[in-house]
Amino acid sequence: MAAWALRRAGHPVLILEKGRNLLPGLGTHKRLGSLFGNDEIKSGRAFENQDEVLEPRTSRTQDEAAQGVERSFVGDVNDLPTVVGGGTIHWDAKTPRFWRQDFKGLSTHGPVPEANVADWPLTYDDLAPFYDEVEKRLGVQGDVTKMPKTTLAQAPRKHQFPVPPNPPMYAGKLLAEGAAKLGYTAYPFPMAVNSVAGHNGHARCNSCGFCSGFGCPINARGGAAVSFLHDALLAGAKLRPRSFVYRIDTTRDGKRARGVSYLDANGKRHTARADMVIVAGSAIETARLLLMSRTAAHPHGLANRSGQLGRNLMFHVFTLGIGFFADDLHAWRGPNTTFTIDDFVGPYKGPEARAAGLPYLKGGICETGGTLLLVQEAQLYGAAPNSWGAAHKDLMRASPFRRHLAGMSMVGEDMPQKANRVDLDPKIRDVYGFPVPRITRSAHKFELAASAYYGPKLAAICQAAPGALSGQTVPVGTVAESGGPGADLAAGQAATAHVMGTARMGNDARKSVVDRFGRAHEIDNLFLADGSVFVSSGGFNPTNTIMALSLRMARHIAGKRHPAPTHGPRRNGDRD
Amino acid sequence: MSGELSRRSFLRAGGALGLLALLPPARVEAFLAAPPKAGQAGRFLNAHELDTLRAVVARLVPGPPEDPDQGALDAGAAEAIDLLLGAFAVDPPMIHAGGPYSGRHGGGRDDFTHFVTLDRHAELGWRIRLEGSRGRKEREFAGPVRGLQQIYREGLAHLDERAPVTGFAALPAPAQDAILSDQSDPAVQELVGVAFSNTLEAMYGPPEYGANKGLAGWTYTAWDGDRQPAGYTNAQVSDPSPGAAPRMSAAALRGLDRFLPALHGAPAEHGRAWVARKGLTGR
Repeated sequence: MAAWALRRAGHPVLILEKGRNLLPGLGTHKRLGSLFGNDEIKSGRAFENQDEVLEPRTSRTQDEAAQGVERSFVGDVNDLPTVVGGGTIHWDAKTPRFWRQDFKGLSTHGPVPEANVADWPLTYDDLAPFYDEVEKRLGVQGDVTKMPKTTLAQAPRKHQFPVPPNPPMYAGKLLAEGAAKLGYTAYPFPMAVNSVAGHNGHARCNSCGFCSGFGCPINARGGAAVSFLHDALLAGAKLRPRSFVYRIDTTRDGKRARGVSYLDANGKRHTARADMVIVAGSAIETARLLLMSRTAAHPHGLANRSGQLGRNLMFHVFTLGIGFFADDLHAWRGPNTTFTIDDFVGPYKGPEARAAGLPYLKGGICETGGTLLLVQEAQLYGAAPNSWGAAHKDLMRASPFRRHLAGMSMVGEDMPQKANRVDLDPKIRDVYGFPVPRITRSAHKFELAASAYYGPKLAAICQAAPGALSGQTVPVGTVAESGGPGADLAAGQAATAHVMGTARMGNDARKSVVDRFGRAHEIDNLFLADGSVFVSSGGFNPTNTIMALSLRMARHIAGKRHPAPTHGPRRNGDRD
Repeated sequence: MSGELSRRSFLRAGGALGLLALLPPARVEAFLAAPPKAGQAGRFLNAHELDTLRAVVARLVPGPPEDPDQGALDAGAAEAIDLLLGAFAVDPPMIHAGGPYSGRHGGGRDDFTHFVTLDRHAELGWRIRLEGSRGRKEREFAGPVRGLQQIYREGLAHLDERAPVTGFAALPAPAQDAILSDQSDPAVQELVGVAFSNTLEAMYGPPEYGANKGLAGWTYTAWDGDRQPAGYTNAQVSDPSPGAAPRMSAAALRGLDRFLPALHGAPAEHGRAWVARKGLTGR
């Protein structure tokens, strides 16, 4: 995103990407291809995802940390794709906008006990034009005429969406009817999925169903690579895949970034010098890189005088609703879900909130009408001890969790806590020999109380849908948190790919890492362009907001830097 | 890491194990078309180990006469697991199928059979996962890793230790089930954990990985499998499909309780790789 905007503004740009490229033709005038297929085996074999064998992460709870436990898990902790195109290579492409209230949590709703609530240093209106531009470029589908008034009041739109919605998925239609009976509104989910052949030069989505968690075989889904990077490369930006940046190099006085040091595909060390460094490694890896880049001038990690670097790590806490139906719902046909419900975003200030000792509760949007694919279904039934054999096959034949299921998942807002953090594991190293990120995290009672409050409402919608045999809720975040039976299984479902916080933005350099444009308070040519800068998590898929913030940052840089510098980034050859 | 992944070293490794060396894609396809028969060695497992694994997968996902539809034995799951264990005996290794199309729903060709070449980085990850760290410093940066080859080899041998007179494969099915379901034997459960997970992949995943023969896993589940580039029509997405599958009864639903491990009971000992899949949750 930033590379595209800056290259278009005339700046020389070098992109160092840790992963490889799986889109043949990217950045060339040949046809843009894809090595992805409708293949459940490949998606489970670290094809595009970070390989947890080579680059593990470690984790522990807040209680374990207090007891001096260094780590209780080594492996995949909320891993994202490590590939050219990043997380958007297999994202579900849902693009809700954050609401006005999300940017002003402290001043609108007040503090939450034991949470680090703050206002963002910008408003919805500051970001709105960048949302517009990002959505146009991504080719976002939706229908503004069907959006609830509350949503449009909180996230106003001046224009209809660039393309109309996909055909609505049958299971979603049933749940939408159930929601309507209970007074809720399900509407077409805004998403970066192309519904018109040839729009922005892309194929039309044909609802193959292998969407969330799968690379698109036909590039009908917008994203960082196909919507921005491709054109940035055509315009002259340089890309070096399999380049692992292990340090941001700074001047002796610590006030300027000089460039970066990185390993190439063969493990050789290089440096690249530049007059500006923009980091977009996602919230966990970005914090890790800044921590690894510490110097005498920045003894606790780059730009960490505030002590906030690595802290306030936020995921989203999902709560599931599950409806079982006698009929075949074929809810795998389509882009995961085509409906969303905003009625549980909150805040809710009723007795359930007060009983939990909280001023209010907030949930999030509800992805409505999805199910499992075949191997996912088989593995779910296979998770119980001794669940193999004829009984497993009977379940596969009856298929309650695939063919007869319509699911909902609420993207629950996650409170920022200082104790939820990324730091460097003191012992475990990755394949490159560098300390891996260690995630310390426990849910705040805010998320668990919201899940307990909103979960039964999801179950009620499922139950109210025409033809439903039953409606249930599964508070996967709460089950995972319990550490009890089923925690491991729930952890997989609860482990979201929405990773935010760790380098929050703010006007006060004593309380934040970067300013309102993503520039490090202490290093004036270092910028962060990912979810690390989020102050709150909202109850919304974050990528649209990440992209809008990045575009705003890039336009700010471009506006301040006319004319463009004449020298480009240089590769200085081997070092060490 | 230097020298770790040289072509020569894995040619040597293939030769030492008496396995196939580098094969062009056409020979891979021929190999898939004629998998090892009973009593023949596989690509990694020896003949006896492969026979024992066949007996295991036949219990994990049974076929006729116990179940009306073909099971994992017929689908070739044991041979596919052997292909994975010996993945580095062919180039490119059969780990990540190609894309985007299989030719089953248009596109005119099977890209899946053109497996994606692993680069140096990805190859090391898969060597560690399959072969284990073997005490080598360059593989133990995050601690020792027990490879799938070791887990299968030792686990299959352990099954024979549990059936010392006949060997596991010759036991009657109820006796095999009694061993496989013994939760007090961690060595058995380690094997069952990985073998069940791999068997499910093999049974229900794309056939290019060597199993799901005759689309056995997709036929009785009425699963379309990969759909590109045809996809689905608007009506197939938005409308009901009456009669396509049997209706589910409320009684069948009540029978699900034991399969809701997130709510009841402890999860089985699986690798975490699949647990981290997102399924219902968004991205």
